[in-house]
Amino acid sequence: MTSPELRTEIEEFLYREARYADEFLLEEWEALLTDEFHYWVPAGRLQGDPSKQLAYLNDNRTRVATRIRQLQTGKRLSQIPNSPMRRVISNIEIESANDGEVLVKANFVIYELAAQSSGELRVWPGQAQYRLERVEGNLRMSAKWIELVTADAGQRNLTFLI
Amino acid sequence: MNKEDTESLNSIGPSCETVEMGINYRQLVRGDRIHGSLLHDPDVFAEEMEQIFVRGWAFVGHASEIKNNGDWVKRQLGNESVIMVRGDDGGINVLSNRCSHRGTALCWEHSGNNSFFQCTYHNWRFGLDGNLRAVPFPDGYSKPKEELGLNRAGQVANYRGFIFANLDGQAGFIDEHLGAAGYELIDRLCEMSPSGNLDLGKGWIGHRVQSNWKLWPESDSDGYHVGFVHASMSASTDTHYDDVAIGGDAVQSSRAVDYGKGHLELDWRPSYKQELSWLGVTRERVQDYYSALSQRVGNELADQMLWDGPPHAFLFPNLFLGETVIAIVEPVAPGEMIHRHTAVQFEGADDAFNERLLRQTEAAFGPASFITTDDAITAERVQAGVSGIDTSWASANRGWIDLSRGMHREAVDENGVRSSNSSDETTNRGFWYRYLEMMSEEVTR
Repeated sequence: MTSPELRTEIEEFLYREARYADEFLLEEWEALLTDEFHYWVPAGRLQGDPSKQLAYLNDNRTRVATRIRQLQTGKRLSQIPNSPMRRVISNIEIESANDGEVLVKANFVIYELAAQSSGELRVWPGQAQYRLERVEGNLRMSAKWIELVTADAGQRNLTFLI
Repeated sequence: MNKEDTESLNSIGPSCETVEMGINYRQLVRGDRIHGSLLHDPDVFAEEMEQIFVRGWAFVGHASEIKNNGDWVKRQLGNESVIMVRGDDGGINVLSNRCSHRGTALCWEHSGNNSFFQCTYHNWRFGLDGNLRAVPFPDGYSKPKEELGLNRAGQVANYRGFIFANLDGQAGFIDEHLGAAGYELIDRLCEMSPSGNLDLGKGWIGHRVQSNWKLWPESDSDGYHVGFVHASMSASTDTHYDDVAIGGDAVQSSRAVDYGKGHLELDWRPSYKQELSWLGVTRERVQDYYSALSQRVGNELADQMLWDGPPHAFLFPNLFLGETVIAIVEPVAPGEMIHRHTAVQFEGADDAFNERLLRQTEAAFGPASFITTDDAITAERVQAGVSGIDTSWASANRGWIDLSRGMHREAVDENGVRSSNSSDETTNRGFWYRYLEMMSEEVTR
């Protein structure tokens, strides 16, 4: 049974992570990651070995750093301007919490405006699975896996932090 | 287009008498420019789906996707949903995904394995060859079953696993469509596999883009944009494009090649400064692959392949051989398309090498990639730019798109192959030459 204090701490972490992503606070977002961070958006369900599959996104720590660096160049056409966006996180379930490692699942919906081109409002529903670790007393994210409701259907540009 | 415009256009064009009330493509595709209306006009789109995707050859998929009898994948050929299926005899059939009774789609998932296709409406059952096998309560029919099979592609061709189909069956032989260059480009890719075979079984990823489909053959074979559209990629990570496509004519010697029939290449080979530049690694990292490859082709050829890399080429109308990635250009509507890709996997290569190709593909292609995302946004911006252009503006000299770059310095060899600096629009013109041939075909038929 997770203590109410830990639950609150986890929720606050997830909300902060979501806000940093929504607001393109890239350095702040990157500071939430551990050195082993794995970021995965499969083109189907969250199952199997990510290394054997072709995914929408499958970043190790080095590649996610490149992803952030690309956004920071000021030349990333598909994020000029940055998408105005907000996400809502709900149905937070703490799967397990031991030895400083926490596994959490949550549903999310992102509303994104394609301000770079058509002005279309894009809706991204799905489930996020987080692995959080305690580093020097604070929670950090060592994995974020995303299962999109539309995973099988192909996607518009996904050049923000999901 | 109103009647007056049609008459005035028809009075100019050489083909006016046979294209009654139609669109005069010869007025809209010129040697040095094309008319922007071709990128969004719904009538143009409708005619393309017929002239190019029904009457012509197009890429459907790869034999490695359907290894076992009964394996099938669903694909889109223009407006037609088709099922590519491995039949009971091991041959590959391309069938319309539509029950011959009331038109119900037979398959709605991406892929599967079946010993027959059964419609869910009245349980009509079809064999893997598309023949009607059984209907409930057959006494109600006096027609022979042979008349009630599924529609199927009139011609299907398989070259080293690449499956091409021509729906109406009247397009001439595949040899004529692919030409020597089409075969050579496919060979060049397949020969890099230790076994000589590709495996394209990792699934296809759809990148949905709000642009006309023709902007992707253009972008996939355009060497001019790389340093601008992809500046953020170049600034944030080391890639081989720095050597082969960025910096302009003064610093690199890659070639833009038009082989004819709309088959195009950006030939990076002259620009590579080291072996394996296209993969971004040194030989030590891929020693197992090199050993396996050289066992089949010998050290000399294997060394050369490590330098040259796989081709960056487009085969008309919908197949992109994007180095270590294969992509299909899939039209949806005048301003909507899907760029669908999968990773090349070399049969007989070690797992680590093939996983490297998967990671390379994820970095380069698709909705969350570092490269084609900026092509997508660029295509969407072109679409926004051209969406107001009417076909009738052509004669008023409005709404043209210029494709003249490098016309004065193109070389033409004895086989009619055109080539020029990779920043030149030789490839783009090559696409539109073939497009014009296909779209004005009814004139000569």
